Amino acid sequence: MNGTISLGTGRRKAEQRHRRYYERYLWTGGLLVFLFGWNAAELGLSARLFIEGLPHFLALVAEMFPPNWQVLTGGRVWWGILETLSMAFMGTFLGAAVSFVLGILAAGNAAPSRAVREAVRTLMAAERAVPTLVIILLLVVVVGLGPFAGMLAIAIGSVGMLGKLFAEAIENADPKPLESLESAGATGMQVIRYGVLPQVMPSFIANTLYRFDINLRAALFLGVVGGGGVGFDLHMAMSLFRYADALAITAVVLVMILLAEKLSDYLRRKIIGQEVLQ
Amino acid sequence: MSVPAPGAMRLHLKKFRKYVAPALVATLLLWGASTVCRVDLGALLAGMPRGVALFGHMLPPRWEDFPALAGPALETVQIASVGTVLGAVLALLIALAAAGNLSPHRAVRELARGALTAERALPDLIIILFFVAIVGLGAFPGVMALAVCSVGMLGKLFADAFEEVDPKPLEAMAAVGATRAQIIRYAVLPQVFPSLIANTLYRFDVNIRMSIFLGVVGAGGIGFNLVMSMRLLRYQEAFAAILVILVLVVMCEQLSDALRRRVLGQEVLR
Repeated sequence: MNGTISLGTGRRKAEQRHRRYYERYLWTGGLLVFLFGWNAAELGLSARLFIEGLPHFLALVAEMFPPNWQVLTGGRVWWGILETLSMAFMGTFLGAAVSFVLGILAAGNAAPSRAVREAVRTLMAAERAVPTLVIILLLVVVVGLGPFAGMLAIAIGSVGMLGKLFAEAIENADPKPLESLESAGATGMQVIRYGVLPQVMPSFIANTLYRFDINLRAALFLGVVGGGGVGFDLHMAMSLFRYADALAITAVVLVMILLAEKLSDYLRRKIIGQEVLQ
Repeated sequence: MSVPAPGAMRLHLKKFRKYVAPALVATLLLWGASTVCRVDLGALLAGMPRGVALFGHMLPPRWEDFPALAGPALETVQIASVGTVLGAVLALLIALAAAGNLSPHRAVRELARGALTAERALPDLIIILFFVAIVGLGAFPGVMALAVCSVGMLGKLFADAFEEVDPKPLEAMAAVGATRAQIIRYAVLPQVFPSLIANTLYRFDVNIRMSIFLGVVGAGGIGFNLVMSMRLLRYQEAFAAILVILVLVVMCEQLSDALRRRVLGQEVLR
């Protein structure tokens, strides 16, 4: 008897929970569908537009083939590739170097004072909020068009994320080695050098390599707004309706990105693996 | 006597291979890269006064521009949100085919995984330029480009989430004769729902930033206003656009953070 009653209340409770679950999701779901439809209508989207665009799409794809490999013989595209790679590499390196210092200053257990820590944290949060587009537009005014502006934009754009991750890694470091170093009379610098850094370097390097992958793609975008590199050539080919050229450049860019990602993957695995083994 | 012991020699060699050789390679690469980038500290120093003057020209922002910027700002948010939702729906369908435990066939799974990987490898810039070329200027190419750009990342994350579900409810439902659609609906989706929502919200953050860039290539939104003001050297207008963009980015991030915490927190509590 007792058993059936408890089963009944259990089932009722389950049903209630079920209903509440659905009411909640139906409400939010309905709201989202409404918002989606309203936004889509406001933007002038429709299925008709999509269907009408299809033949155009096929025509454009047809125009891209065969890719015009001639465009690669001039050397202009290869120089662009080199510029893009250099921007991403140099920018990531500079950004990582600055993040290294800022990360230490922003970590609660390594910062010289609370005020410094808060100031650096705020600075990095502000940087993360600023889109790279804004940074490059301002930098172009300061140092002029070209890969130097793009490289600086990438460096500045990396600091917010890398600095934050580095600071978090330092804060999560095992405090025991730090304490024993301190009790043996080590200075603040020595504690950081021998207690903190060995623990956090693998994650710092892995994050920097990951950021390089992001920055390589960002470097393509920067070409469009005056940052130099192969993004500019690609944008030009597309704007001048040279679709066959654009496809050839796209192929080269794809190979570049895949190779760079393979390399950074390999380095990441090697560095992290080696440190784990120690 | 002065000849080092073989052990010490090996240690030196190890140290060289571990520290000195990578440092040499890095220095060489940095030198090459800085040459290609035309790194010029003189230009940077010479530009500093120009940078300071730029801020002088920007202040104060043209406050009367703000009402006019509301429309483009709203358009940016709309492009990002519609693009994200379209991309998430597409990604969900592909992920169902790409998840090892739900896919109808091995070949379908490999095909879907391959498509997702290919999309992730394709730089977003290429996708955006492609859609602008096909559809022309306006919000439509922007939405389509963002949707396609989102599919690769979301599809992979969704498929991974599907593969990590607890298989017991699935087996129990299969044992009592549920169809594949019923299993997905009642055993899989409730388990992965929080992660689907959280990842989609994260992608929305990414897409807001991308949607600001879309204006540069003519796909609508507030990025266009910013770039135009900068090109026409109307710095006070540009500063107004920058302020609106910053508010937009921060607000959208706060919103998606709050929603994400709500979705994940609520599920953790249950």
